Amino acid sequence: MEQDSTPTAAETATATYLRRHLRFGWWSLLCYLTLGIVLESLHGFKVGWYLDVANETRRFMWTLAHAHGVLLSLVNLAFAVTLPHLAADTVRLARLASPCLMGATFFLPGGFLLGGVVIHSGDPGMGILLVPIGALFLFIAVLLTARRATALRKPASSQGPQATPSGPRRREGRRRRR
Amino acid sequence: MGDRLNRIRQAATFLLVSLLAAACNLSDYRRPVDGRTPGNRPIQVREDGYTSSKACQSCHPHNYSTWYGSFHRTMTQVATPETVVAPVDQPFSFLGWTYRVQRSGRSMWFRMDDPNQPGQPIRMRLALITGSHHMQVYWYVTGDRRKMGQIPFIYLIPDQRWIPSNATFLAPPSPEIRVALPGAWNMACIKCHTTQGKPRSPDWSRSGNLSPDLTFDTQVAEFGIACEACHGPGEAHVRLNRNPLRRYRFHLEGIPDPSIVQPARLSHRLSSQVCGQCHGILEFYEKDDFEHWIDHGYPYRPGDSLSETKLLVQFKDRQLPRIQQLAKRNPHYWEEKFWSDGMVRVSGREYNGLIETPCFQRGELSCLSCHAMHQSPEDPRPLSQWANDQLKPGMEGNLACLQCHDSSRFETPAHTHHPPASSGSQCYNCHMPYTTYGILKAIRSHQIDTPTVQASLQTGRPNACNQCHLDKTLDWAASHLEEWYDVPRPELTQEEQSVAASLLWLLRGDAGQRALMAWSLGWESARRISGSDWIPPFLGQLLEDPYDAVRFIAERSLRRSKAFADWEYEFFGPPKVRAAAHRQVLDLWRGLPHQSDKPEVLIDANGTVRRDLQKRLLRQRDDRVVSLAE
Repeated sequence: MEQDSTPTAAETATATYLRRHLRFGWWSLLCYLTLGIVLESLHGFKVGWYLDVANETRRFMWTLAHAHGVLLSLVNLAFAVTLPHLAADTVRLARLASPCLMGATFFLPGGFLLGGVVIHSGDPGMGILLVPIGALFLFIAVLLTARRATALRKPASSQGPQATPSGPRRREGRRRRR
Repeated sequence: MGDRLNRIRQAATFLLVSLLAAACNLSDYRRPVDGRTPGNRPIQVREDGYTSSKACQSCHPHNYSTWYGSFHRTMTQVATPETVVAPVDQPFSFLGWTYRVQRSGRSMWFRMDDPNQPGQPIRMRLALITGSHHMQVYWYVTGDRRKMGQIPFIYLIPDQRWIPSNATFLAPPSPEIRVALPGAWNMACIKCHTTQGKPRSPDWSRSGNLSPDLTFDTQVAEFGIACEACHGPGEAHVRLNRNPLRRYRFHLEGIPDPSIVQPARLSHRLSSQVCGQCHGILEFYEKDDFEHWIDHGYPYRPGDSLSETKLLVQFKDRQLPRIQQLAKRNPHYWEEKFWSDGMVRVSGREYNGLIETPCFQRGELSCLSCHAMHQSPEDPRPLSQWANDQLKPGMEGNLACLQCHDSSRFETPAHTHHPPASSGSQCYNCHMPYTTYGILKAIRSHQIDTPTVQASLQTGRPNACNQCHLDKTLDWAASHLEEWYDVPRPELTQEEQSVAASLLWLLRGDAGQRALMAWSLGWESARRISGSDWIPPFLGQLLEDPYDAVRFIAERSLRRSKAFADWEYEFFGPPKVRAAAHRQVLDLWRGLPHQSDKPEVLIDANGTVRRDLQKRLLRQRDDRVVSLAE
């Protein structure tokens, strides 16, 4: 019997999310690495606007922006790589987790970056308000993904994780039986 | 099941580690300001709303760092290997005895020969240091609770040299080294070298005087002049501003935070009083106020009216019963602080000068018009350069006065009668001459006035013209002042018409005038204008002066001449040694090229000093006892 090789709607959606996060992850990594180069240059040329003690808050904010940006870009790549391993119900997960993660990648480092533009001595500017929003997005995205990862079961044979019905699917099965 | 147990175990470990880390942080937070509370020296304690500068650092990094780089911070420091600037383990000899600073682990010691038991050294553990700009005074642990004793020498930082402690003050001559009584730091230095100091001497009221049997449990809010000395206690400010909404309200509305005092926002009078609390001549109104201070510290807080809690001593108030009482107790009360017309003559009391200045009385001049307690981020000078006088950018020049006075009227040769850019065209060289004395040098008067010869005659205070034109007579100055500014010309004696004013003050003046002249003869601007080839014989004369400080300053000025840069002289030596040094200077000078026939500076046609005239003037020297309370 010949097997149908046409991808299912779920697989297509998963592939779309995967591509999106790979693309987004690599480009944002480039952006935040560039920010790192800019910061290094500011160090190299001893720019007072960045390095003076009076601008310590700016330096701190922008260092945080760079660090969070790079890290979140890598998280996007990790998310893309993780998606196919999260069993069949990835679309439902990705529908919420994906925009949350991308939002966090914008808002968290962006908040630090904007917060460092105008500073009030030891306090960052109003841009810092984006940071808690970004943090909330990140929290949701990671929580959803972590829950989905927790639901994965050890493979019964060498078929890999995809072949093993995950927790939610088993619960679905139970519901159907009822 | 095993997996689950593992997970629970991991979670429990994580929780435990987190709790331990939090506990460590908490214990750190509760640690006393001084770490392990020392029992043998004054300590820093957070109370009465004071919270220490460490609490200011995170929110005000720039202000903290500029304060940290200032000499205000280091007015008192705990003696550690990092804070002691005197060389360690480098012995020095003085009058046959040997002394040295030693280090043992983190503690610093002063070792000296015991005069009573030769060969037996005395070791004193250093606990505190006062000063850090010009000199460091070291205080040792007496072993009597928190009472501090002074070691017999003071280290001069720019000169990199030890001198006897009494030689740093302009005080009556003494052949021996004298030190302050034990407890002097606890009762005197604490007033202005710490923030909110409390001597806490339980037996003061019984004794009523600084006596060796007094005990002290001295506490301060912070060593040195810290943030809260000028901004007031900050505990409430710190507590309230933990709320970010409150902080951002003030940031965005641009309104001042009422929980802390910002001297720059006070009126010019109140902001100057913040500085005046230390830089003024102040007394307690009543004995009760004094006793309250001993236990609880000063009640004055920045932003208050200083006169509510402290009596500012001004010449015009000398009839006040309290001041008369003080003057009765100390017959030299006035002359050790003021010139006879009421102008301050000692350093560190600039507030008294400021408030007598018309610009303060009729205008809005304040300390902050020229000085900045925090270096501006736009100030291109290195922090150390700013810290020298804490002047705002440009305030070393005429900009200080031109903030209010019209440049087109005052910054012109028509007003200054000096070439533009010359030292004579600088406002402060004429209006703020070096007529106050302290820390072994002359310091600019902060009472801004106009030079007159009449004032010099009445008070003995050098006038700006003759302090710069060292080779000119009072007659010369009077003629120019009359011609240029219509200042009435006073009547002058034969000597005042024919001998340079600087030499009259140097030879006939009191010890304070001689100290000012010893400094002026080494002042680079004046030497450029007056020529310096005739100066060494007269500085040589001052090497024989009875006052240690005068001799020391004369030596310093003499070394400005290349020929005397490496010349050997021991200013604390016995009179014979000093006389020999004087002769040596004259011999050396005779061999140097110099002008002849300068009668104003007592140089005759042969190029030798008119010894007859010099001796005659010297015989007229004012030998009254002078002790300047700097």
